[in-house]
Amino acid sequence: MVQFKWVFLAVFLGTALVVAALLINARRPSLERSQPEAVFVEATGKCAECHRRETSAVVHQFERSKHAAKGITCLDCHRPAAGQESQDHRGFVIAKQLTSKNCAECHSTEYEQFSRSRHAAPSWAAVNGVKDFSPAQLELGERFHQGWVNRPAMGIGAMEGPAALASGCNACHAIGKPNADGSFGSCTNCHSRHSASVALAREPTTCGQCHMGPDHSQLEIYGESKHGALFQAQRASMNMSADPKQLTTADMPVPTCATCPMSGLEGMKVTHDTTERLSYYLFAPVSLKRPNGDRGQAEMKELCAKCHVRDRIDRFYAAAEQVLVATNEKVKGATDVVAGLRAAGKLTKAPFDEDIEFKEFDLWHYFGRTAKHGAFMGGADFVQWHGNYELLKLRREIDIEAAELQHAAPVASADVPTLSAPPAIPVQAAAAPHAPSASGAPAASAR
Amino acid sequence: MTGQSCQTAAIQAGPRLSPARALDAFIVSNLGFLGVDIALAHAANRFARREEWWPIAFSVSAALLLVPSVLWPRRAAAWRLVEFAIGTLAVGVGVLGMILHLQSAFFEQQTLANLVYSAPFAAPLAYVGLGLLLIMVRMEAAGSEAWEGWLLVFTLGGFAGNLALTLTDHAQNGFFSRSEWAGVVGAAFACSFLLLLLLRPDDAPLARAVRYVLALQALLGLLGFGLHLYANVARPGSWSDRALYGAPLFAPLLFVDLALLGAIALWARAQRSARPLNG
Repeated sequence: MVQFKWVFLAVFLGTALVVAALLINARRPSLERSQPEAVFVEATGKCAECHRRETSAVVHQFERSKHAAKGITCLDCHRPAAGQESQDHRGFVIAKQLTSKNCAECHSTEYEQFSRSRHAAPSWAAVNGVKDFSPAQLELGERFHQGWVNRPAMGIGAMEGPAALASGCNACHAIGKPNADGSFGSCTNCHSRHSASVALAREPTTCGQCHMGPDHSQLEIYGESKHGALFQAQRASMNMSADPKQLTTADMPVPTCATCPMSGLEGMKVTHDTTERLSYYLFAPVSLKRPNGDRGQAEMKELCAKCHVRDRIDRFYAAAEQVLVATNEKVKGATDVVAGLRAAGKLTKAPFDEDIEFKEFDLWHYFGRTAKHGAFMGGADFVQWHGNYELLKLRREIDIEAAELQHAAPVASADVPTLSAPPAIPVQAAAAPHAPSASGAPAASAR
Repeated sequence: MTGQSCQTAAIQAGPRLSPARALDAFIVSNLGFLGVDIALAHAANRFARREEWWPIAFSVSAALLLVPSVLWPRRAAAWRLVEFAIGTLAVGVGVLGMILHLQSAFFEQQTLANLVYSAPFAAPLAYVGLGLLLIMVRMEAAGSEAWEGWLLVFTLGGFAGNLALTLTDHAQNGFFSRSEWAGVVGAAFACSFLLLLLLRPDDAPLARAVRYVLALQALLGLLGFGLHLYANVARPGSWSDRALYGAPLFAPLLFVDLALLGAIALWARAQRSARPLNG
């Protein structure tokens, strides 16, 4: 045996090396060892190795995300979901385009809520009409928003041209774009791609990427409101990253845009159906109550009650509804004037070829909406100067122009140009706030 | 090494098949094949940096320049300068390559994960090994004990590099299949046996064991080649993607390659032992 002592020593040394290798490997994070397939282990580091050079920001964003902290790999999100086209990508098979369906692999409840919200099918249909939807997508959209998906495309976009439509309207309305895999839109519009951030979705400026400007000034109104002022003052002490299902007023003592319609504050049910707690179709020319408006209002009031006493909440709603009724009357009055001119043959049937039509559109689409949004969001200046004052001014201009047109000769029908998809600007019967619910006909824009 | 021994080595004709000629062929073929292997590896990176072409250009040039060393062992002593230059350049290319590979990710955060997922830091050291091997064996009389010793040193160095490569490469898979540990185990035992043989060159049982260990390494390399081939065939994706980004097909053959280098050393030892002592 003595003559083999060096052989034994060699075996011992070799074994020690193997044990050392096993120990080193065991000390690696479980994320890098325990994955369902080898390719997911590779994805924990291989993707970053290239992308640190090619698109380095996405790596740093992901590294700061909760997804990374919870051990999600790049491939968890980028692998093709059912119905998605795939492509070879440097040793990995990934989806050609990520959609909300990829997020739904883990966040199915959130996706289900989103898919029945107005952020989904109605948002895309408001601009592009029904043509892009599969039968299943159309059925789902119409089930929750009857008449708001099976509709013609918005005529203004067609008149402005495809470039304006793509980079303007659809840059926001793509939040509900029907995807080839059967899903709608992309969650990254609000949560961003590699940060996948809850905090970002709670930032007012995130909602304000689309909900701003004269046609729906929610960001500006929020900024002017008491909520917005308090947020600016207290944001440094707020926990914007709090778990949505555990969110308390200690985390966020001040609401942001997402809090009231979506957050599960103090044990309430969190929802990605942004319309669930809304009472009225404020965006419509004449605002009716939503089909589930009473239930939605009750839920919203429950959330308000986390900060305000019941009496204060009821008074706030009553005041806002008075503005809504008054605005409905003002809008209906103006649209009746224009409809009367059209019926009398004083206007062509073509949309937006006469000055008065632009005034009518501005009246409800800009100032009518602004007055109502201002009332329901606590933005006094928007109820008054950006809303009612402009309503008053435009109504006067419409009346003067209508009087002039009454004395003009009727427009010859042969001169009437046609559009393939004229904008529908329905004039609905003004409804009292507590009148029976009706979904109403689609307006030209649904945001 | 004396000047005389250098001169002696330079003019040695040697038999048609000898350890010295086998070693020359080994060095030339390795330098040449490294160019092919690196071309594949850097193609996976789409030659993102211009520097990725350098080792390929070097490999092709060096291999071509060294071909005469294999074909005409009776080369002029002056040719030795070219060989030293190639050896020195190879060491430089290898060291620079290792630094650039580590720079790809490791230097940024210096974590184990970065070491695993950066470009393989040990791979360019193949040039260092080949360059030093070329220099050192030219400084010793071919077939001498010192010459054989250097071969064993570089075989050991190669297996040490192989240990690092198999460990980090398979760590990229999280050693998903247990068979991925075979390379680590093989390289670890090759290292331990070769190290002790260098320390105890006259231990006969150990020398015999090293022969078996080297034979097993060669078999392990062939098995690894088969397993890598199978893994790539079974992998989803296009053929080109599988070839470039799948299991590196030629990597396991490094076990065969190093076993050959060790075998050349043992062959030289056997020839020396067979020679009469007064030779």
